[in-house]
Amino acid sequence: MAAVQGGLVDAVEKKDIKTEPSEDSGGNNNANDGRLLSPPPGSSASAPGGNKPPAGAPEDQQTLLAVLQFLRKNNLAESVEILRREAGLPEDALDLKAGDSAGAGSGGAGGTVDLEGEDASSLLSRVTVSSSAAAQAPTKVTPSEDQPDVNVVLSAYSQQGDPALYGVYYSGLKRFIESVLDCHRAELSQVFYPLFVHMYLELVYNNHENEAKVFFEKFSGDQECYYEDDLRVLSSLTKKEHMRGNETLLDFRTSKFVLRISRDSYQLLKRHLQERQNNQIWNIIQEHLYIDIFDGMPRSKSQIDAMSGSLAGEAKREANKAKVYYGLLKEPEIELPLDDEDEEAENEEGKPKKKKPKKDSMGSKSKKQDPNAPSQTRIPLPELKDSDKLDKIMYMKEATKRIRLGPDNLPSICFYSFLNAYQGLTAVDFTDDSSLIAGGFADSTVRVWSVTPKKLRKVKSAADLNLIDKESDDVLERIMDEKTASESKILYGHSGPVYGISFSPDRNYLLTCSEDGTIRLWSLQTFTCLVGYKGHNYPVWDTQFSPHGYYFISGGHDRVARLWATDHYQPLRMFSGHLADITSTRFHPNSNYVVTGSSDRTIRLWDVLTGNCVRIFTGHKGPIHALAFSPNGKFLASGATDGRVLLWDIGHGLMIGELKGHTDTIYSLKFSRDGEILASGSMDNTVRLWDATKAFDDLETDDFTAATGHIHLQDNSQELLLGTYMSKSTPVIHLHFTRRNLLLAAGAYNP
Amino acid sequence: MSAPKTIPKDAQVMIQILKDMGITEYEPRVINQMLEFTYRYVTTIIEDAKIYATHAKKSSVDADDIKLAIQCRMDQSFTSPPPRDFLLEVARQKNQTPLPLIKPYTGPRLPPDRYCLTAPNYRLKSVQKKVSSSAGRISVPRLSVGAVSSRPSTPTIGTPSVQSVTTKVGTPVSLTGQRFTVQIPPPSQTASTKTTTPSTPAVSNVLINPSLIGSKNILITTNMVSQNSAAESLKRKHEDEDDYDAL
Repeated sequence: MAAVQGGLVDAVEKKDIKTEPSEDSGGNNNANDGRLLSPPPGSSASAPGGNKPPAGAPEDQQTLLAVLQFLRKNNLAESVEILRREAGLPEDALDLKAGDSAGAGSGGAGGTVDLEGEDASSLLSRVTVSSSAAAQAPTKVTPSEDQPDVNVVLSAYSQQGDPALYGVYYSGLKRFIESVLDCHRAELSQVFYPLFVHMYLELVYNNHENEAKVFFEKFSGDQECYYEDDLRVLSSLTKKEHMRGNETLLDFRTSKFVLRISRDSYQLLKRHLQERQNNQIWNIIQEHLYIDIFDGMPRSKSQIDAMSGSLAGEAKREANKAKVYYGLLKEPEIELPLDDEDEEAENEEGKPKKKKPKKDSMGSKSKKQDPNAPSQTRIPLPELKDSDKLDKIMYMKEATKRIRLGPDNLPSICFYSFLNAYQGLTAVDFTDDSSLIAGGFADSTVRVWSVTPKKLRKVKSAADLNLIDKESDDVLERIMDEKTASESKILYGHSGPVYGISFSPDRNYLLTCSEDGTIRLWSLQTFTCLVGYKGHNYPVWDTQFSPHGYYFISGGHDRVARLWATDHYQPLRMFSGHLADITSTRFHPNSNYVVTGSSDRTIRLWDVLTGNCVRIFTGHKGPIHALAFSPNGKFLASGATDGRVLLWDIGHGLMIGELKGHTDTIYSLKFSRDGEILASGSMDNTVRLWDATKAFDDLETDDFTAATGHIHLQDNSQELLLGTYMSKSTPVIHLHFTRRNLLLAAGAYNP
Repeated sequence: MSAPKTIPKDAQVMIQILKDMGITEYEPRVINQMLEFTYRYVTTIIEDAKIYATHAKKSSVDADDIKLAIQCRMDQSFTSPPPRDFLLEVARQKNQTPLPLIKPYTGPRLPPDRYCLTAPNYRLKSVQKKVSSSAGRISVPRLSVGAVSSRPSTPTIGTPSVQSVTTKVGTPVSLTGQRFTVQIPPPSQTASTKTTTPSTPAVSNVLINPSLIGSKNILITTNMVSQNSAAESLKRKHEDEDDYDAL
């Protein structure tokens, strides 16, 4: 049995599990684990935050059993008898009750906060799966797990066992894992970190401060080095009150940490833990970990290290199974005019005109639909206006003059240094045709500069507009005010540092997002603010316009990314699922998908049409700050604070490359116009160029790899590195390839 | 620190805290900032706790008061984002609605004007003045600027019968900078300005250079009504409509 079901929690199925406790098959336990998942969106309506249990016999049954246990624990034997007789419960139902353990209760987070006072005393004990422990369990252990539907009395989170013995349990497990075969050890060592964190959090949550401290000091040094930051945060968390405001940790506690372990290793672990004395760890594992079992060879340490590092473990295989339309939309065919008198005709068929104008060579050659591309109407997109068609024609003309890049033909790099920014430059963007630069600053201003000698002009005031001749041919020039033309314009409006900035593709609008929680749309015709989009109440870290205009996306501290349209004051889609802030948001070239990188070290790909998360990529060891899609839409590159650039295949959902070289956070990534070169800019003041064609060339994506997610990353970063260019103490925060493949870079000089 | 003067104790504590939290590189002003924050936070909490203690008629402040003070401040200043389950539910609901279709051939695609920042942020007060004789005299305009951000209406120079602010149908989208439109009441002899004088006022545009207000242009339109009847008065141009042409 390969995959573990990660389905909806089905109340009826819970009951079935109860009656087959000791069936020692991996599948069943996996099923058990699987059903204990946090209810995905769309599950029982009562789950999210609901405080009343859903009506239904199974639920009441459990309630009754819980009450029975409670009475029994308090030695109210007669009451137990009476209740059991009246409720008609079988004698052995108590003993065989399965771990209806914790769901990553959405209610868990909500419920537990209310239950500060209710500690072990008011808890109900439930016996877990293994029958061997049944006898011991009531005396030794009082596990009571959360349920997705919160019934206040039943859902208190109490510890699994004696707090003082946690250290003993952990070292016991350590000893065991150190004693297994080498091939299994790497995989089983994955268990250490989540187990450590959950046990520690449980101790803290149940107010066992001293034990928690001792536990932490003893075992924190054993963890992997890339969890160092998390451990430091944990070390400062010694009381229950500290956890209250920390949403990330609360989510961590209630969600399941995903581990991918091969079947053999899993069997080993299970056998060991189900022995009598190790049962506590088994309970904790069942409660907090989701073990995604696969058939096949155990993974090596390096393979595991490549994929781990995120706050929620790795991604389950089902999470990356949905079909993603990563192809590009068909370009509308626009005929290039032979002379000015010809009107551009846009039609899909390309009807030949009398003069036989040149058909554009950039349009799709075949009329067949790319099977991997979304249909044109999958999401509504704005139609092309005349000005857009003119833009496209310009684009195609420039494309013909584009330099072909390659390992032997590297791009020239033009660096725009912002002087006297006093470390206040927080965001930069270029227009697609590289005519304007916009900078967002920590003093809440936004400045727009013209890169070309052409100055920035705004539209005249109404009074002046009245005086111009509306019928003249150059009316579009006449409406511009020459008197206030300047090289740069300053836009005031935000009340906090501006963290994200994005030009619209038609160069009419500028979007900025800031720490004040709003996203502002500015007009580049009048250089005034048009709209303030309010929705995030917390700092918004990044925003971007869609490549087709009209839509834009924003992500911020509230862990949600929102899709907006310029003419709706509320978001159209909300992408929720990350455990920590969203630090970077990007559109796919076909505008149908959105990728978000977060502080929880995962990258998620969302479908704009449905709002579902279709891919989860783990592997970074630090918050992700840079994302870039390849121009053909198939691949994604990501950069984080760990200094690595990771390459992902979107279709298969796998990591296909790792580019090591940078020594500090990578803040910008950009593919060249045809996707041959990947440029990365980082805080270590360098721009590095990587050979993208070579990196994507040799892919062994056979079925086996896709099925198990085993990746064999070659350590060829050195071969792929084409050049390193140092700047003079200026961190690179933005990169842009012009239409002719000249690389522009921007950063603030930081002496 | 090898400075000759010793660093005060609390600054040393702050340095130690920063070190414990793993922050190794920071500007020296960070310590001062953290100390100020600490001081302000602690005094706020203690003051709040004193208020709670006096409210509960206790003679001295005890731990419960402090706990209550901390809790209340947490909910006020240090709010945290909504919990995940709530977000998931809201997202699920929001994502169920299909994406709205895009109307073709519209101008700039912006939300309804109520949600934009394009409305003028001022409002006119209606002025009623008795003016003596001569025709064509421009009386001093009364200009009142109020911060009205939510009113969609723009004062217009309507027909002479209406001197107060009228709501214009179809709020103009004034994409040009800030404009001040001032209405000057026609110097009519009748005190009541609600008369339906058939005379249409003449309007001329006077542009005043941007003064203290930066790049804002003040547009003053004057209604010059001749004392005689309509025949001599100039026709008023409907430049308001033109003014509001969206760009």
